[in-house]
Parts: sequence; C-alpha cells; structure tokens
Amino acid sequence: MDLTTVLLRQLRPRPLVVAGPGATRSRLAVERALRAWGWAPAATPAGADLLVVCKPVGPVMAAVAERLWRQVPNPRARVDVGGEPDTVAAALRAAHARLRDAAGQRADALERRHAPVQLDGQGHGQPDGHGQPDGHGHAHGGPGQDHGMGHGMGHGMGHGMGHEMGHGMGVVAGLPTARRAADRDGLMLDRLHVPLGPVLPDWPGGLVLRASLQGDVVQEAEVEVLDLAGAEHARSGGEGEVAFWDEPWLRALAGAPVTAGDAARRRAAAQLDSLGRLLGVAGWADAALAARRLRDDLLAGEAAAGVAGRFERLARRLRRSRTLRWLTRGLGILPPRDAAADGIGGPVLRAGGDWDVTSRWLRWLDEVGASLEVLGGAAADRRLDPGDETDGPRGPLAPGGPPSAALLRALPGLVVGAELSAARLIVASLDPDPDELAGAHAASVAHG
Amino acid sequence: MVETAPLWSVLVLPVVLAALALGAASLDAVLAARTAGRAPVRAAMAEPLREVARLLVQQRRTTLAPDAVLWRLGGASVLVAAVLAAMVIPLGRHAVSDLAVGVVWFNAMEVIVWAALWLAGWGANSAYPLIGGYRFLAQALAYELPHMIALITAALGAGSLRVGQLVAAQADLWFVVWMPAAFAVYLVSALAMSFWEPFDQPVQEDVAGGVTAELAGADRLVFVAGRYLLLTTAAAFAVPLFLGGGHGPLLPPWLWSLVKTAAVLGVLVWSRRRLPTIRMDRFEEVAWVVLLPLALVQLLAAALVVLVR
Repeated sequence: MDLTTVLLRQLRPRPLVVAGPGATRSRLAVERALRAWGWAPAATPAGADLLVVCKPVGPVMAAVAERLWRQVPNPRARVDVGGEPDTVAAALRAAHARLRDAAGQRADALERRHAPVQLDGQGHGQPDGHGQPDGHGHAHGGPGQDHGMGHGMGHGMGHGMGHEMGHGMGVVAGLPTARRAADRDGLMLDRLHVPLGPVLPDWPGGLVLRASLQGDVVQEAEVEVLDLAGAEHARSGGEGEVAFWDEPWLRALAGAPVTAGDAARRRAAAQLDSLGRLLGVAGWADAALAARRLRDDLLAGEAAAGVAGRFERLARRLRRSRTLRWLTRGLGILPPRDAAADGIGGPVLRAGGDWDVTSRWLRWLDEVGASLEVLGGAAADRRLDPGDETDGPRGPLAPGGPPSAALLRALPGLVVGAELSAARLIVASLDPDPDELAGAHAASVAHG
Repeated sequence: MVETAPLWSVLVLPVVLAALALGAASLDAVLAARTAGRAPVRAAMAEPLREVARLLVQQRRTTLAPDAVLWRLGGASVLVAAVLAAMVIPLGRHAVSDLAVGVVWFNAMEVIVWAALWLAGWGANSAYPLIGGYRFLAQALAYELPHMIALITAALGAGSLRVGQLVAAQADLWFVVWMPAAFAVYLVSALAMSFWEPFDQPVQEDVAGGVTAELAGADRLVFVAGRYLLLTTAAAFAVPLFLGGGHGPLLPPWLWSLVKTAAVLGVLVWSRRRLPTIRMDRFEEVAWVVLLPLALVQLLAAALVVLVR
C-alpha cells in the first residue's frame, strides 16, 4: 500500500454544495448530514474535493455545476442528491468511498492530464469592457477559454459593456485589462465586474448579483435568478414541488388541511435558516451553527419544549452582542414606505427600529420566538385558515407575486454605494428565496 | 537569564511551534464539534491531521494568467515570517538567538505578513483573493501602530530591546500588572496580524475565503499552516513581553514558557467563537480613536513609572 492510498483513507471530504432554485429540501438534508459528520463545507472549488449538487437541477445550474466540477482538483468526486434524508446520507457515503479509491482517482487524474488544457478559476472579476457578444452567454468557449470563474459565475460577463470592447485597451492572456471610470468621489479608478453568486457560501443559491466594484464599493448592481424556466419545466414533468419554505400556506390555500402548529414550525425553521446565513456572512460561525442546529431539530419534528430553551439562549446571546449590533447598524436602511412601495411584506416591513440590517435580524429573533410559542401552545392543532393567515416566512403568500420578487426589486437600490461586505450582509438580511420565484407560488395560488 | 542556544535549536524551534499550532487547531476543532452537537467531541481532535492528509494528496492548481512567482512566494512567506519571528522568543532560559534588537526583529518579521498577504491576494489574478489582499492592508493600517506602541512599552519597562532583558526585568513583577492596557492592545493586534477571527476579513467566507479562494493542495496547506504558526508565534511572544517569560514557582522555566504560551493561545483560539468578524470600515475608527491613544497613555504611564522608580 503506497503513501497516497494511506493518506486517502484518512481523508475527510470538503464538499462544495450547489443548490439552485427549487433545491431547498435537498440542501437542508445535505447540510444536516454534513454537520452531523463534521464535513466542513468548502467555499470554492479550489478548496473542495467533493461536489454535491442538490436536485432538482435546471439546465443553467447544471452548466454551472459542470464548470465548477472542472475546477475541483484531484482527488475529486461528484454526487447529485435528492431531497430524502436517507438517500442523501447513502449518496454522500458512496461519494466518500469513490474519493478514497486510489485507483479510480489516479485514472481520473490521468484522464484530465491528457484532456486539452483547461485554465480555469479565472474571471472572478472580468475587467470592464470584456464584452461577450452574446451578453449572457451561458455556454461560452471551449476548454482553454473557460473564464468560468471559481464559483460558477461565468455567465454574462461584461453585460452591457460590449460597446466598450477592444478600444485601445491592454490585453493579458486573452482578457482585456480593467477599464477606469469615475467613482463616487469623482476619482478615476479601475472598475471590476464581479458577479456574486450563483454559488457562494451563505448565499441564496441561483441568485446572481452582478456588481460593478471600485475598490470594494458597489457602484452598480443588477440581480437575476438563474434557471426559473428550468425549475418550471421540471415541475411540469411532475417532479416539481412547491417552494419548500412556503409549503404549509400554499397547501392550505389549495384546500389541504394544515395545522397552525405546522405552519409555525416551518416559519420558525425558515427564519432560523435566514438567520444562520446572516450570521455566517457576518463571520460568526459559532452562532450560525447554533441557529442551523435549531432549524434542523425543528424540521426533524422536535417538540417546541425541546427547542425553546436553546433558542432563548441563542437569542439572548445575539441580542446582548453589542458587537453584532454595531457591525450591522445603519446598513441597508429600508423604511416601511419604500418597502411597501416595492410590495414587501413580512419581517422586513415589520422590522421597526432603524429599519436597517440590525432591526431585521432582531425582528427574526422576535418572530421565531413567537412561532415557537404558537407551536408549544394549545392552538397548535387548530386548522390554518387560508383566507386569513397567509403570512409565510418572508411575507404574505397572496396573489400579487411571491414575497421574494418584491425583495429582489428592492435589493439593487440597497446595495449600491455599500461596501462588498456590507452588500453581502444586506442580501442576507433580506434573504430572498429563489424557490419562490421558480413558478411554484404563482401556480399554486392560482389553483387555490 | 536568557542565553542563545546552540545552533541545532534552529531545528527544534519549528517542531515546538508546529506542535503548539497543532494543539491550537485541535482545540478549535473540538470547540466546533461541541457547537455542532457532534459526539464524541474528542474524536474531533484528529481533524487537523486529517486535513493535512487531505491537502497532501490534493493536486495543486493554477488560474488563468497568475503572477505565479509572487503568488507562491506570498503564500509561503506567512509561514517563513512566523518561524523567523519566533527565533527571538525564549523557551525558558534559551532562545534560538537572543538578539540585542530582539523586539525590533520580531516586529520586522511580522510586518513581512503585510507583503505576504498582498502578494498572495494579487498573484492569483482573481477578484476574491485580491479583495482579501487589500482587506488585510486596511487591517494592518488599523492594528500596526497600536501594536508597535505596545511592543515599545514593554521594551521601555526593561530599558532594552533584548528579549532576555525583558524577561529578567520581570523577575519580581510581570509587566502585565503595570501595563495591562499594553497587554490588551497586544492581544488584539496579535489576532489582527494573524488574521484570526474576529479579524479574519482577509480570508472571510463572505468573499469565498478571500486570499485562500484559489489555493489547493500543498499551497493551501502551507498558507493555512502559516496562519496557525503566526498565531502561535504571536501568542508565544506575549509571554516574554508581559507574562514574565520563564519565571514562575516550582516548574522549570521552559515548562513555564510552554504553559503560559498554551494558555494565551487557548484564549486566542477560543475568542474566535465569541465574536462576529470585525469589519475594517467600522474598526479603523476604533483603532485610531481608542486603541492608539490608549496605547500612548499606557506608554506615558510606563515611562513615568520607570522615571520615578
């Protein structure tokens, strides 16, 4: 037995999890398994050896996953998983076994070496003026021109900038160098186009925020959710399901019997999921982990009494953290008038306080606490009244469009002028849910 | 009481540092396992070694048009700087080299990290590492001056830049007793210079790992190990600076050095779990308006004590 084989046996995988619109159920099952086994997720393909693709996967996200897969160094394994917890665990175990198979890994590495040269991992920031003729070309170039970038964000580089292309710029390795533009203080600075998403840690999977950065200040931003058509297509084929976090309300609207307790449980879990993301983006891994543990326990059906005490401890810790308040204060201020104008409801509209990121995470804490009270109370078995109680985790699930569509309308205006880290906190504090946009909501409401 | 050890101690130093760093990584893994609710928590102790094994078999990778020389050089410099800085730190009665300008040497080596992170961020020719690189420069702008003043305060107390003299001057009373603010400032700056949480913005997840975003295999191993060694070195230097070096009852001096270093290191590792990442757009002001004046007032107070004594 050679050294490589010995070391491979010890290997604990570092998975990069890809979850596009509609894949929330699979993502939750995967995250739960990873936490239980201590497989720390990777942030980029470079840091990963296992690519976990959550089903269902639309065509665009499939292309993203393929590009990421080309960037994962050997030894590597890929696994596509569906939403059932048992099958997820088994599939991940099988992928682990493939990862530890020295002979198979050697064969894969040799095959890659003989394949045409692939230079990837590039293009996190396509310099200004690098226009793809097809603008949002999702499948550009062959090997060697894969500007696909670390995190599967190769789409539509240089959107809207094509007209600037090639006028007296330097070109390095086939890529134009950065162009300059006036910044907010009137200085001429290099401008980078950095697409955030669709795959990033603690990011709504499938969301792409195309930002123009000068330094690390966002100068322009536009948002897009990938694969909406794809997710709809999957649904019409019969495999689709309604947006996971909105399921109880949508089912109630469709006439199915849903208890108030089930709805409260789902709302609390959804908001803990959002909170976990926000804490992750804020760099507080420990608190994020605690929030996700509570989320998973709730979804696994644990009684309110078993969760409430631990939630109170987490909530107290967060509310008392002056540091967290200080770090999120004054970011992404969205007064109720503007929020209502965009059609936003839910916790963002009820945030109160300074209407900033701090107010929004405080509001989540209040609402999770209230949901847990409903879940533990006498009224938990009462049937949800679909005419009256339509308030999902992100806002009312009534005709007029999904709550996340409204959140996305407000998003670009909030992040322009913010620093990159602040912009990420703002996105996390709204936490739009791509599942809601994938057509399920509209269809179900229409049926209801 | 500190003297320069024979030449072979050059080989011992990295081993001791690596052992301490591994201990720190194990402690971190155990604390993470506890929060995640994984049992038995003890099993997490081997995590860092498994990660080393994983990175050893993993292939390196490159990006499109990297500045390869600077990229690799920057990645490796963190580790080299940490070991070089540790050369003046005494283990009990012996240091690899008890230079007459030991405190300055430590400071000079640790400033190499500025260049290292910037080069490692720049060299990959990729946006996220670049962002991580300049995040560190902003961070350095915040911590470096208070850090240097804290170092000077300790040197002032001993009237020497020789680390051995610093330890000797603390035979009766540790500097931490009459320089508590300098000690606190030193600990904060130690976290910041080893870009350890809560000062991990250069390698934070919100920019996909920043400087580490494109690193794989041996390159990642060298960088991550370098960061742990840097944290260890920073913790170890707090001992001769403020905590009396090898002085202490009963135990031999070398063991006192180790125990104190492990204690400081443990506190630094633990602190990671207590706070969210502190962003420089908020902290810069605190560093210049609070930390720097605090360090200066402490310096003044220490100077008065030295004059009156």
